[in-house]
Amino acid sequence: MRILLVEDERSLAKEIHDFLQSEQHVVDAVSTKKAASENLAVNSYDFVLVDLGLPDGDGLDLLQEMGRYQQDASVIILTARTEVDDKILGLESGADDYLSKPFSLLELKARMQAILRRKSGWKKDVIQLAGFEIYLNEPLISFEGQDIKLTKKEYILLQFMLINKNRVLNRFQLAEHLWGDHLDDDYQSNYIDVHVKNIRKKLGNYGPVDWLETVRGLGYKIIA
Amino acid sequence: MKLFHKLLVFNLLGKGIFLLVFLMLSPYLLSQLIIDNTDEELLEKKEEVFKLIQKAGIENFISNENPEQGFGSYNILKEEYILLQAVPADFKVGQVISSEKRIIEEEEISYRVVADVIVLDGVRYLLEIGRSLNTIDKIQGMFFQIAIGILFLFLAFSFLLDSAISKRIMAPFNKIIQTKISRINEPQEFHDKSIRSTTKEFELLDNAISEMMKRIQKSFNQERIFISHASHELKTPISILQSKLEAIFRDENLNSYQSEKLMDMQDTLQKMKKSVNALLLISKVNNAQFLKTETVDVKLVVEEIVEDWIEIAEEKDIVVKIGKIDPFIFSETNASLCQMMIQNALSNAVKYVQDGGEIILVGTKKEDAYELILENDGEGIDEDLINQVTNGLVFLKDVTKEKSGFGLQIMYKVALFLGVSLEIGSLKGKTRVCFRFPVEPQQG
Repeated sequence: MRILLVEDERSLAKEIHDFLQSEQHVVDAVSTKKAASENLAVNSYDFVLVDLGLPDGDGLDLLQEMGRYQQDASVIILTARTEVDDKILGLESGADDYLSKPFSLLELKARMQAILRRKSGWKKDVIQLAGFEIYLNEPLISFEGQDIKLTKKEYILLQFMLINKNRVLNRFQLAEHLWGDHLDDDYQSNYIDVHVKNIRKKLGNYGPVDWLETVRGLGYKIIA
Repeated sequence: MKLFHKLLVFNLLGKGIFLLVFLMLSPYLLSQLIIDNTDEELLEKKEEVFKLIQKAGIENFISNENPEQGFGSYNILKEEYILLQAVPADFKVGQVISSEKRIIEEEEISYRVVADVIVLDGVRYLLEIGRSLNTIDKIQGMFFQIAIGILFLFLAFSFLLDSAISKRIMAPFNKIIQTKISRINEPQEFHDKSIRSTTKEFELLDNAISEMMKRIQKSFNQERIFISHASHELKTPISILQSKLEAIFRDENLNSYQSEKLMDMQDTLQKMKKSVNALLLISKVNNAQFLKTETVDVKLVVEEIVEDWIEIAEEKDIVVKIGKIDPFIFSETNASLCQMMIQNALSNAVKYVQDGGEIILVGTKKEDAYELILENDGEGIDEDLINQVTNGLVFLKDVTKEKSGFGLQIMYKVALFLGVSLEIGSLKGKTRVCFRFPVEPQQG
């Protein structure tokens, strides 16, 4: 996919750029609204990741320009701002999602994939893994035609790990994906262990779950 | 009680007391008035009779042949009588007005009587003119009824008049209270617009409230800008650090020592991130930066949260029970904050209840509120800690436990913002968290 990244914090822009590139995307990174406008006018993008607080203007203005040039591009607003109005205004202006800083790059990837799935409307988005069929568009998992009952949180967790398969996800990243930023609990990350244990137990009744690995001291990884 | 109603009640009471005193005195006053009037009429009649006797001569009333037999006359209903009779020479001279009883045709009747002695040709005659007191009583009763009627009419009319006048006078005051205080839930909702009034005091009140609200609004806006800047300044470096750490984690050549150190760094970064997020959240809630435009099905939220947490609780052998939860829709609220508030209560309970403990949730719709109660057999929350939270402290001094979270404060601030009354009580071996959601008054 071709992605336009509009972020004035160069250090952060570099990390996002490198991450997306490592995911096999083509990324144009710019740091000003003016440069972003120029890129939007001449290139065609699948995704635009835009920071709201740019040195030469508000990133929200770019959304209006996109209406002219990039009608098919999906937009995710990246911001450290906190005002609710900004969030509403952003989504009303056509953004597909809103990611508050600080965010995990894996969370960004998951959000991008969710938008793609939503837009493609592809109902049968199924991942097959060791006999298990995990549906990405609905909370459903089955093994050889038998539906397996997972809780909503367990399903979201499994889906997030699948999207980031072959990558170690630590408990903080998983907890943040499940509960967001505001669950106040020092032990929150330990609850992830409980959920993973339950996923293993429930899926283990049907078939081997050795593809869901514990990486000692770090977190969990799905090997696929 | 509204000021308007108070004024009406006081006015009515004042007039009522005055009228009551008047009604109590009126029989006596009326009686006195009527008797005075009757006396005057009797005296006038006496003078007329004198003149008539002088003109016509006494012999036309009392015969010379039989002077002991006096003259007496009364009308058919015995309402009035005249008596003229000779009296002994030593009979006391002088006019007397009194109420007396007289027997006429074997019937004893009370009369108001004017008696006087006249001397004609050396003979003394007693002249009595009387009017029946029954007649006087009837007139008095009639007057009394008319007076009561007029007074009650006056009271009703004056009440209506007072009500209309008070309403008109109080209209600017009510408008000030409604548009500038009651309907303003957050300072941002205030729009400065003078309320027209011819009452000086209301003008002063209107100006004072407007000035105060503008100061609060300005202070809120300054705080909002500060939070926005602080948020940007704090979150951007954390974001950079986080992405850099994740980039290092992606390096497959990391050895276990490096991984361990990186995890420590990430742990610290996460704590920092959580604290910053929690503090910003508290500030935003305090600064009313969340919209309250959603509706929440409280029963559904409870069921979802319990579903999320039941397995974590089971891991500690804690039983989470949902008791009777009455359905309740909480309107004009913020759904995510509402969910966060209830979730914090449950997650805290799961965290602090001893292994093998029990958590029960019950939701009851009452007349004036919806009560969602979470009870558990945890060790309870120190009263001093609750006092610190309710006093608005963000950084709590907890000497008994090593806590670094902001869960309690967030729960309290969110409840306050959403207009939910939060009561946290600890009894021996039991902790009780009660959310009292406001219930909209039934229409019609």
